[in-house]
Amino acid sequence: MAAEPALTLDGVTKRFGGLAVTQDIRFAVPIGTRTALIGPNGAGKTTLFNLISGVYKIDAGRILLDGRPIQDLPPRKRVQAGLSRSFQNIRLMPHLSVIENIMLGQHTQASDVRSLLSPLAWQRKSRWRAEAVDSMRRAGIDVDPDAPVSGLPYGLRKKIEVVRALMSRPRLLMLDEPAAGLNPRETVELSAFLKSVAWDGLTMLVVEHDMSFVHDLCDRTVVLNFGRMIYDGPTSGVQDDAQVREAYLGSRRVAAKGAGRVA
Amino acid sequence: MSGYLSGVLAIFCINLIFAYGIFVTAAAGQINLGGAGFQAIGAYAAGWLGSTMGTPIWFSIVAAALIAALVGFLISFPVLRTRGVYMVLATFAFGEVVAGFLLHTDVFGGAMGMVVPLHVELWVLVVSSIAVTLVAFYLMATRLGLSMRAVNDDEDAAIVMGVNVRAVQVAAFTIGGAFTGLSGALYALNFGFVEAQYFNALLSIYILLYVLIGGTQTAWGPLAGTVFFTMLPELFRVGGSARYLIFGILIVLMMALRPEGIITRGLVRGLSFRGGARGG
Amino acid sequence: MTGFAARDKGLGGHSRNADAPDPRRTRRRGGKRLARAMSDPTGVAAARISLPAPAIAAAILVVLIGLGVAIGGKVIAHQVVSGLLLGAIYMTVAVAFTLTIGVLNFLNFTIPTLFMLTGMAAWGLLSGGYLTLAGRGAWLAALAIGVAVAVIASLVVERFTFRYLKMKHGDATEHAIPLVSSLGFLIIFENLVLITLGSDSQRFAVPFAADLHVAGIVVGVPQLVSCVLAVAVVAALSFVLKRTKVGRALRTIAENPDTASLLGVDVGRVVPVVFILTGLLAGVAGALFTVNYGDVSPFMGDNVGTKAIAAMVLGGVGSIWGAIAGGLVVGLAETLSIQFFGGDSVAMTVWGLVLVIIVLRPKGLFGGAPIGKGKM
Repeated sequence: MAAEPALTLDGVTKRFGGLAVTQDIRFAVPIGTRTALIGPNGAGKTTLFNLISGVYKIDAGRILLDGRPIQDLPPRKRVQAGLSRSFQNIRLMPHLSVIENIMLGQHTQASDVRSLLSPLAWQRKSRWRAEAVDSMRRAGIDVDPDAPVSGLPYGLRKKIEVVRALMSRPRLLMLDEPAAGLNPRETVELSAFLKSVAWDGLTMLVVEHDMSFVHDLCDRTVVLNFGRMIYDGPTSGVQDDAQVREAYLGSRRVAAKGAGRVA
Repeated sequence: MSGYLSGVLAIFCINLIFAYGIFVTAAAGQINLGGAGFQAIGAYAAGWLGSTMGTPIWFSIVAAALIAALVGFLISFPVLRTRGVYMVLATFAFGEVVAGFLLHTDVFGGAMGMVVPLHVELWVLVVSSIAVTLVAFYLMATRLGLSMRAVNDDEDAAIVMGVNVRAVQVAAFTIGGAFTGLSGALYALNFGFVEAQYFNALLSIYILLYVLIGGTQTAWGPLAGTVFFTMLPELFRVGGSARYLIFGILIVLMMALRPEGIITRGLVRGLSFRGGARGG
Repeated sequence: MTGFAARDKGLGGHSRNADAPDPRRTRRRGGKRLARAMSDPTGVAAARISLPAPAIAAAILVVLIGLGVAIGGKVIAHQVVSGLLLGAIYMTVAVAFTLTIGVLNFLNFTIPTLFMLTGMAAWGLLSGGYLTLAGRGAWLAALAIGVAVAVIASLVVERFTFRYLKMKHGDATEHAIPLVSSLGFLIIFENLVLITLGSDSQRFAVPFAADLHVAGIVVGVPQLVSCVLAVAVVAALSFVLKRTKVGRALRTIAENPDTASLLGVDVGRVVPVVFILTGLLAGVAGALFTVNYGDVSPFMGDNVGTKAIAAMVLGGVGSIWGAIAGGLVVGLAETLSIQFFGGDSVAMTVWGLVLVIIVLRPKGLFGGAPIGKGKM
């Protein structure tokens, strides 16, 4: 018996004052797969992320997580249901250290009274800290865990955000442009790291512009344009699809943009 | 210990507990400019319970703190509907309402004040302030404290991490209320007399200044702030108004040059590194 | 649950509005903002100050006053005139508060002190005999200089308190930094006055007391002039905001605090204007108070300050018309209730009302449009 897809979007529509920012989006992300969500700027990708994570409320349609409708749940309940996300503009807590930011990601696992009230900062050997440090190292974050995040380079902070999003042991991990601003080496590292952490049943939905990263990490791709879905299928078929080509290249963009990057 | 010194120490201990009460909410991102109102609740509750109801002193103190905590809990719900400048105004209004109410209710003595015929010794104040300080440090070391600091930094991102932001903020107001009420109770029982005119806007302003200038990033902040405000005047052996003038100038300079306050996380980290391998 | 539509770190950082609890309402507002931003790229729509609500309030006010006078006769009429005068003073200070919060999200605690500085400086100059050259106009010169002092003090506050830069602090308490600074200045100014001029209340002598007799009521000329002046000052401010380039710049900053400079506003040159206006408003109010009540003291700002804040909240924080309406209402209410109820449990009721309004309906009782429309 096939399990429910990790994420199902069924006719999701969102309007901002008469302007349909997303229109009747329908796709499903099977469990354990990694799907990319791409499209030109303004296509509605981050809006869709915000709709799924609960920042905005949808105007029509349904959102199902493991078959359970979540469109009426507040953001916190969706996180508890197994959703986790990172942000396009990094949203680490500036006054917290690296390890504190990462341990914050564990919150849904640690919100019982006992865990809330034990002196985490004084327990250097706690399982929470150990788990966080371990994830850090495996992601290649080789800084002092107690260093403040605010001084660190961009690429490193991006990785920390990804690690933080993983700490809640989510069912669905949503990454909003995780490779933006990373150099080619870091991009490859990130892709390898994400493939390595894919425990049984972890599903990923990734918004990205970097097509080589997408090709490497995601076997399926959904393409949005002006709020509508114009492609839903294997990543390999994206660049040959007529509608996709028109969306990216038909708007006065120079056709010779190189094979590796789109938009 | 001379009478003068013990007086200063008493004020220091009361102010320190008061400061921790405001610190707890500030650490979670809420500015409470109604501190005097909470302190008044603690003071009058302890005074009334002890003198009119005749309860034992320790009971009066604990009950007063709990009553103030309850008020903090209840008032947090409407107040948390506001943010920023509006929250400052709302908490300020709350403080004025409490002071106005106490001024006009003859049950508690009205404008004449209330005499509190009981007395707690200085050692009770000292022990209480040490205890409150330790509790505050402990709180900031817990995951609850971490959540509070996260909410302060980025409320919206904290929600997405699964933090129950509203619960954290309510908890901050409740705990803050308890500490602030405790400071009031100790004040009433040590000083022996309370009057509504004492718990005014200027008092709320000063205690907020203590906390923000000391620094809200770590639990060391209120300690630094209270020392700054209580001890520094003793160094300036000039007349009353001149002393406050210097205060005002120092405040403006602090906010211009080091708005995070005297004690920041960076400072604590830097000091602990230099002190040996404790940090890291 | 806090709804937070159309609000991410880059866009409208000050959109933490007290209306947070209803996600639908927030979203609709956020949606309107997005749609408007898309159709009006400069983001500077003309300030459509919504007349209906304040006009209705004014109409109700006039009817009530008319009734009161008809029933109570001369005594009431006299109280009403007094109340309107007091209201005019409160409204001017309230407008100063609301302008600063509306444009800069800054609760400026020095405003009552500026009010006080005008009166005390004027008295100091007059009694110190510095203005004998002005002869019989000395009192006027003193007041004029007093207002200038308030403006200069306000600019000093701006210099050290409010630099419109991205605060490095970057957390929920960062808005408190200018607030704390203003508290520091409050302490500085008050104690400067205490040191130089003493702590006593002083008389300020105004050498005329011509009275008008209108329909049997005695109206002092100073009272009349004051009301007219206050109205004129506020009307001028309204004009500045609506019609001038500077006014448009101010409204842009109010609406888009984080992106105003991107929209072409020279923020560094425009922000001091707010402080100049603040100084003028507080100073003029202080001058009017001095002339009409004749008493100045280092603490004269305290009472007026709290009433002005209450007036601002009643009318809706950030709304100029609201501050006007609120100020008049508070002035009238205070005068009439002292006449009938005496005493001062007015304060507690007023603050209770402030608390309730701020929490439930921050748009105030009169719902006037805020300076940056859509900001609240």
